Amino acid sequence: MSTDTHDALAAFAATAASAVTACATLEPRARARSLAEAGLIGVLADEAVGGLALGLDHAVPVLHAVGAGLLGYPLLESMLLADALGERPEAARIVLGEATATIAWSGRASLATGRLSGTVGRAPMGDTADLILVPTADGAALVDATGPGVSIRAGGGLDVEAPECDVVLAGAAALCVLDGAAVAAIGQGAQLLRAAAIGGAVETCLAAAVAYTSTRVQFGKPLVSFQALRHAMSRQKLAAEHIAAAIARSLMRPDDRMARAAAFATATRFGAAAVESALQLHGGMGFTWDIPMHRHLRRIRAWEAQGDAAGLHRRLAADLLAANA
Amino acid sequence: MTTDTLPPGVSGETYRTHVRAWLAAHVPEGIRVDLPGYREPDLEACRGFEAALHKGGLAGITWPVEYGGHGLSIREHLIANQEIGRLGLPESINSLGKELAGPIILAIGTEAQKQRFLRPLLEMKQIWCQGFSEPGAGSDLAGLRTRAVRDGDNWRVSGRKIWTSASPWSDRCLLLARTGALEDRHKGLALFAMRMDAPGVTMQPIRQIDGSAHFAEVILEDVPVDGADALGAPDEGWSAAVRVLSIERATNRMYRAWRFENEVSHLVRACRADATLAGILGSGEHHRRLAEILVDIEIIKGYVEPTVERLAEGAAIGDRGSLMKLHWSEAHQRFAVLALELLDQAPPDAGPEVAAARQRFQHIYLRGRAETIYAGTTEVQLGIIADRMLKLPRER
Repeated sequence: MSTDTHDALAAFAATAASAVTACATLEPRARARSLAEAGLIGVLADEAVGGLALGLDHAVPVLHAVGAGLLGYPLLESMLLADALGERPEAARIVLGEATATIAWSGRASLATGRLSGTVGRAPMGDTADLILVPTADGAALVDATGPGVSIRAGGGLDVEAPECDVVLAGAAALCVLDGAAVAAIGQGAQLLRAAAIGGAVETCLAAAVAYTSTRVQFGKPLVSFQALRHAMSRQKLAAEHIAAAIARSLMRPDDRMARAAAFATATRFGAAAVESALQLHGGMGFTWDIPMHRHLRRIRAWEAQGDAAGLHRRLAADLLAANA
Repeated sequence: MTTDTLPPGVSGETYRTHVRAWLAAHVPEGIRVDLPGYREPDLEACRGFEAALHKGGLAGITWPVEYGGHGLSIREHLIANQEIGRLGLPESINSLGKELAGPIILAIGTEAQKQRFLRPLLEMKQIWCQGFSEPGAGSDLAGLRTRAVRDGDNWRVSGRKIWTSASPWSDRCLLLARTGALEDRHKGLALFAMRMDAPGVTMQPIRQIDGSAHFAEVILEDVPVDGADALGAPDEGWSAAVRVLSIERATNRMYRAWRFENEVSHLVRACRADATLAGILGSGEHHRRLAEILVDIEIIKGYVEPTVERLAEGAAIGDRGSLMKLHWSEAHQRFAVLALELLDQAPPDAGPEVAAARQRFQHIYLRGRAETIYAGTTEVQLGIIADRMLKLPRER
């Protein structure tokens, strides 16, 4: 990696971290405008719609900050959707923060003569979205979330920062459609960016565990002096390094399907365990609403479900069997 | 073009082409454990094959040409390891020479020592073992008690070494011995290239978990060591060795991820050759664990490849070897458990593919128990990460 690229990525990380912090006190719509002003929603999007047309390597530090700072905004979905929409006017509205956008990650709507019906789910912050991308048999369709034939209800997922919603469609109009290749690209980008966000969450939780165990005194000495706890934090560090290594490898090998799958699979498997361990090290405090460990854990579990980690593992195993018949 | 020897001027992908052609032409019949017709090679067969690997440019890759090496970069070292790893080839019988003694001699040896030791080692005329651990000093090498005392220009060594791998057939031992006081801990430790046929060296083979006796306890009774066989200064041998070891931990057996893939493929093929096992595999019951193993392998690659790039650029890798060592050792053990669990469900009339796979994976399961012990135990690695990477405060 060149020094210039390295500096650019570091600048993105810093911008993203401060923008995420600033969002904490804003309402969802104001968050959209604030993130747009920081240039973050359009990182991937076409320059014609106000985007920066950069690669996923530049989106990775942004999502790392999203995970580290518990951003309550579907930035991953907004970035990928704005990119996939190309030069369409909806893309410009998303990039500028004029429209809030999200993606329903589960289920499939039926599309006939431009009308959508059925129930799709796992749309982060679907209740405050203007635009929602819903999966269909051939790809996906964009709907106006506030238009006729669209109703939004709470989805029952674990995440409290960007709560998942179900989208019930009854003859809603498709604003536009994306083909299967475009939807596959969104899915691939999302897996990598979820891994980045989980990596950010793990590093935040590890730092919190180090800080807490270094100051909390029990049995007459700081908790950090107990080897069992030190080793638990070493394993959290190992998880963070696994995730970073898998993401870096995926970025280096964009055409390597296994490397791409590994980034997300590594993040969900080792990331969830690391945050559970960080929570454990906070003792009873970790179990309370006051300490944000549970919020990170909830999000990781939601990302794991949105990316269908279980299905991904099934497919990897099926491919292994097919290749060794 | 003959592929017997390394053609001049190859590097990068042309080197990979050469390696593939060489392996296709020179891997002896029956030596690949993942193929039908496998017979465990004896010592001489291993020695001959490894000497041929060197001649073909697949060993001593990064060592200078003047000492028998091929003068290529660590990137070519990675390429050779990837290609060797993909085939089920036997483990080196001289890995301690190639991966430990050789690099240490290159780092701290005299010109005469480099001339004397490196080429014979690559040509498999000298096989090395390692004499670090002792009955009373395993993970805590600073507590070792084997003493080396001056005898004119030479040395005399007395003590006991244990877990000395490959000692039954080795010619030289990379010996760590104390020249100062026990209280000096890491200071006053020196390295020697001790002859294993020197008077006063006796070996008691130690039977291992898999029934083999590749280890021994080596008893040293007033063993004469030539002054010319001392590696580095008497009080700095160890610190120099530690520097080499931190790189070795990250780079040794670099083929691991690719050999691991070979093992996974072999397991699946063997299971699919049997109707019962194929049915169990197809049920999906083991899909999650199989997929996690594939991901574990990707993580190993995710450590190895950037490490090679950093080293190629001359950058330090610090303690990152601990991350990789911790991961591959535990991942390999998880895999071995799954392999056993699957193969143990085979019916008694399962065919030769299943029998061969059972033999391979039982061996891997048993030998794998050592992987979280040698080269720094899991607990030692966790301590390194806590102390040196996380810099957690120590107890006051």
